[in-house]
Amino acid sequence: MPPKSSSGKEKDIADEDEVLQAVILADSFNKRFKPLTVGKPRCLLPICNATLLDWTFESLALAGVQEIFVICRSYADQVKAAIRDSKWSKPSSGIKIVPIVTAKETFSPGDAMRDIYTHQIITSDFVLVTGDLVSNVRIDEVVRAHKERRRTNKDAIMTIVVKEAGAVHRTRSRGVSGVYVLDPNTSECLHYEPVLGYPPASRVTIPREILAEHPEVEIRNDFMDCSIDVCSVEVPSLFQDNFDYGDIRRDFVYGVLTSDLLMKNIYCYVAKDGYAARVADTRSYDAVSKDILSRWTFPLVPDNNHPGGHSYEHLRGNKYIAKDNSVSLSRTCKIGNNTLIGSHTTIAENATIHASVIGQRCTIGAGATLRDAYIFDDTEVGEGCFVGGSIVGSHVKLGKGVRVPNGCIIADGVVIGEGARLRNFERVSKKRGASSKAVADGSDGDDEDDEDSELEEIEAHQEDAATILGKDSNALVWPRGSPADDEDELDEREHYNNLRLMRIGDDASDLELSDAGSNTSSDSETESESSSIHALSRTSSMTSVSGPSLSHSDLSAQTSAIHSLSSAAAETEFRSEVAQSLERAFDEGHSVENAAVELKTLRMASNVPLRRVREAVVGAIVDRVPLVPGDASAQRTEIAKMVRRWGPLIDKIGGVDPVETIEALQYHCAAAGPRQGLFAQMLVALYQQDLVDEDDIRAWHKSPAAKGEGVKPGSPLAEGLQKCWEVGAKLLEQLSEESEEESEEEEAPKATVKAAAKEEGESDSEESEDDSVRSEDSAPSKPAPSSALRPPASSTSLNAPPAKSTSQPVQPSVPAKAAPAPAAAPTPPPAPASAAAMPAQSASTSVPKTVPRVAKAESSEESSEDDDDDESGEDEDEAGP
Amino acid sequence: MGPELHTIHGHRAVETLAAKLRRRQVVGSREAALETVLVLRQVVSKARFSNIQQLIAVIRGVGRRLVEAQPKEHTVGNTVRRILHNIREEASSATKVSAAAPARNVYTISKFVLQGQPRKHNAGVPKSEATATLTEDDPNDPDSFARGLKPVLMEAIQDVLDELETVYDNVSKNAKDHIHSDEIILTIGHSKTVEAFLKSAAHYRNYTVIVAETAPSYSGHDMARSLSSAGISTFLVPDSSIFAIMSRVNKVILGAHAILANGGLVAVAGSLLAATAAQAHSTPVVVCAGQFKLTPLWNLYHDYGALDLGDPSSVLGFEEGKLVERVDVVNPYYDYVSPELVDVFITNDGDHPPSSVYRLIKETYDDDDNEL
Repeated sequence: MPPKSSSGKEKDIADEDEVLQAVILADSFNKRFKPLTVGKPRCLLPICNATLLDWTFESLALAGVQEIFVICRSYADQVKAAIRDSKWSKPSSGIKIVPIVTAKETFSPGDAMRDIYTHQIITSDFVLVTGDLVSNVRIDEVVRAHKERRRTNKDAIMTIVVKEAGAVHRTRSRGVSGVYVLDPNTSECLHYEPVLGYPPASRVTIPREILAEHPEVEIRNDFMDCSIDVCSVEVPSLFQDNFDYGDIRRDFVYGVLTSDLLMKNIYCYVAKDGYAARVADTRSYDAVSKDILSRWTFPLVPDNNHPGGHSYEHLRGNKYIAKDNSVSLSRTCKIGNNTLIGSHTTIAENATIHASVIGQRCTIGAGATLRDAYIFDDTEVGEGCFVGGSIVGSHVKLGKGVRVPNGCIIADGVVIGEGARLRNFERVSKKRGASSKAVADGSDGDDEDDEDSELEEIEAHQEDAATILGKDSNALVWPRGSPADDEDELDEREHYNNLRLMRIGDDASDLELSDAGSNTSSDSETESESSSIHALSRTSSMTSVSGPSLSHSDLSAQTSAIHSLSSAAAETEFRSEVAQSLERAFDEGHSVENAAVELKTLRMASNVPLRRVREAVVGAIVDRVPLVPGDASAQRTEIAKMVRRWGPLIDKIGGVDPVETIEALQYHCAAAGPRQGLFAQMLVALYQQDLVDEDDIRAWHKSPAAKGEGVKPGSPLAEGLQKCWEVGAKLLEQLSEESEEESEEEEAPKATVKAAAKEEGESDSEESEDDSVRSEDSAPSKPAPSSALRPPASSTSLNAPPAKSTSQPVQPSVPAKAAPAPAAAPTPPPAPASAAAMPAQSASTSVPKTVPRVAKAESSEESSEDDDDDESGEDEDEAGP
Repeated sequence: MGPELHTIHGHRAVETLAAKLRRRQVVGSREAALETVLVLRQVVSKARFSNIQQLIAVIRGVGRRLVEAQPKEHTVGNTVRRILHNIREEASSATKVSAAAPARNVYTISKFVLQGQPRKHNAGVPKSEATATLTEDDPNDPDSFARGLKPVLMEAIQDVLDELETVYDNVSKNAKDHIHSDEIILTIGHSKTVEAFLKSAAHYRNYTVIVAETAPSYSGHDMARSLSSAGISTFLVPDSSIFAIMSRVNKVILGAHAILANGGLVAVAGSLLAATAAQAHSTPVVVCAGQFKLTPLWNLYHDYGALDLGDPSSVLGFEEGKLVERVDVVNPYYDYVSPELVDVFITNDGDHPPSSVYRLIKETYDDDDNEL
């Protein structure tokens, strides 16, 4: 961290006239604009006839930023030249721009941040933006708010600017977004969960502590990430310390907020006025262009403050025509609304142009039709061409009658022959012959090499190119990509299906965007939007107080799988450590408590989800059971001994989730060949030890994971799982017979029942509605790891539902459809789960203020639950969307 | 010696103001005018010139730069023109102090209409060569002219500045003659000039103001708050009821963003509605504006963009994703009100009918400066 000025008074003065610094990450670190970005960095692509970098500079200049560092990687020379030649480098601009070229090995924003750290250029709070930002937000106000906060709270390291955009908005990315959990009073960001467009996420996991500590939280899925962050100086150093942080949102923000050790706060700034969006992909290119033309970015509009310095005349219907009288429009051409036409462009007779942007010095042939087309400078569109929903680079020549339908991207310098008909979403670039010379001129770093090899590969697959591109074409057709291609892609944001959500002209209506696992769910789910988030129904382990629709599930869906991927390495390490630790504990006979403490520490150290620990513990216990082949009763005794001694450890590792325990057990037994037979006995032993109860088994039994969904059918694992599942079914049958006999004792207070484990089944069974639905609704494909952290304290209250409320199930918060289902109904209705589904836009929910008190009461197993329960019930009714 | 050489002086301040105007960080006609005067004062004080033409070229260059940056803030150009006018006058009077009074050309009505107020330096410049006090293009000491003239020029600029600073008081000094007791006045928007005018009248008269709320900026809310806190009986009405209540209104008072040479004006959106309603009810329409808003432009009303279309967010929330895609929002900030709808302009230079605005403009600016 750079040294701060010594005395407090000096510092105050320094604050006054401190230079506001900004860092622009000019590299995108992905390839969404290929092939337009062959031979050109993304930040130099024009949008509304000014480069993205100019828009970014202008956005920052609006905020009074005085010093800008531009971090560039690929084509750094071009970026530097562009900065040097722009109006910004003139002394009168009042802005000092310093380009910084990072190493070619910079592969993520995180790497760039580490680079910033090593350069030691940041001296105070700074603004971090990407090089593709279009904004008129008063960033200086955000900075002021940030500094204000820093004065009282040194741990507020970052302020994220977000904009309300609704669930469906052209400018909001469908592919990559996030769910924010905010404290509405302080607008502190309590939790952040990255969300992918595909595979669609159906749930988010919110740590329970958040609900306990904050009487009111807002869960927002309607925020558009403006990619403007006001950061304090320690942010780069945090990146330096955590070398695995790649992305700023998915890794850094998520990491900081979920870390138990860092204790840093991140705040959100919800921009009420102003517009800010980044051009992260071709879809948002289209959206931001349209936003600029419809003046959302005012005063940054073509006719007023065009960053490229052009001047346009604004005509009725948001048509912008270059002002210098150099545009030649024929008498019969039709210019539709929301159109921008650059200077020296000629538009011939009967051409129709609608909602398009045309660069400078272009020629549009007679009778051509452009619709939602983006044409860069010096391009020639032949007679009778059709261009729709596409981006056409500069110096492109489209022959007569060429058809460029939806979603095509044509790179610079391409010539397409007469009458060619491109297919939808075709990507075309120039053959390498000519362009490789240009590459040779520039620095031939790794990047260009990569590109060369990439192009070579493409050249190898050009069988049908001639038929598509027409004759005399100099172009290459890029592979179209398919869902099968992305097996080797590490970053699931760049998967084909997810990228489809981010490309121009693709409405992706054929993608299955509803939650695949939620077959049981009802209307509210299907009508909800692709990225909708369902608040989770109560899980069995939740106490009734933990609140309205905000309850959480251990089985977080795909979203948390993301993190497991990124931390895969850490996990392998963790697994071996846990194995060793347990080995020691077993051999040396540690107490359960000590072993639990050791495991907790391990978990903190390697930051893995709780589920991994549980799996490891269950696995270790199963493996420790001495096999006694051929003697069932001896085997049973062995197991009972083992479970009695070490079973409690399962619940002491930091959270209790019997369903997950059974699942872990099932998967472990199914995988460990000879021990497969132990499953039934282990399960019975766990049941007798009161570690799981009947409802848990029922819930497990219904969960798709238990049935082996998501595992390749036919594999030994799947068979094993199937066997275990059948065993479980039998056990359940027996249990329900037993419990029916004892159903008279239903009303007995829980505490007394506790001793006799078998009786529990019935008294708890109403609650099982939620449980079973929850698990049915849960992760469709894979046993998702949990990222929920549970306070151990709550575990004591677990099996103690309120004495009175045994016959009155605790409903999930949303009142509408959550009709109490009959006790122990064999197939619980799907209603509660869907009722808990949160409308995609936003659900601001107040957790009753009584939460902490009630939690305490319950955890100490007092019997004051009656009123509390009523109270929270009322509050729950009020809450909800 | 091109004028470009001289524009380097004070360049930084000019660029800063141009950027601020472009980014709409300086908004409002009076503020823009004030900033312009301050920048021009800086430019003139730093400028090096050996004759008046050089200085004028420098100022015009700066003016062009500022006007190009924000053509919709008309007062910027007006202020530049005004200062040019004053500088010419000062220079001509300074250079002909010792010169024998020239044979003045005869004033005629036709000449006046054609040329505006006669400029004394037309006759003065060639004769000034003889004077010893101020010599243009002195080969021995090229700076002597500038040195001698600058104090006078600074004074001339200061006059413009003073006028801008006192404009509200001067406009409203005759307020009590325009507003009578128990009248009902309708106004729209939050014009500082109108606000001062009404408040000044309130010292003498007891009357009622109806303020239209002026959607979507709702600047009428601020106006109503300000007026009622000054003890004026105030009603706030939605814009849609302007026509309905017009029958009870005695007078409509509007502010202006710019007064055009034909007597029309550019004013906050909704003014056209109020003025048209007033005409339908034969209610007099009074426009309060400082002289610095007089703009020598005729053709603005052909220019759609001149209405300064703002961003749609005040009309349609950005979060309405589905609508944003399908609906084009037009949110003009200004209306053009044609001269037929206006009865009188009250300025700091007296009261004028729309038909004589062209004369005021001719008096205030030099014709050569209409195109900067």
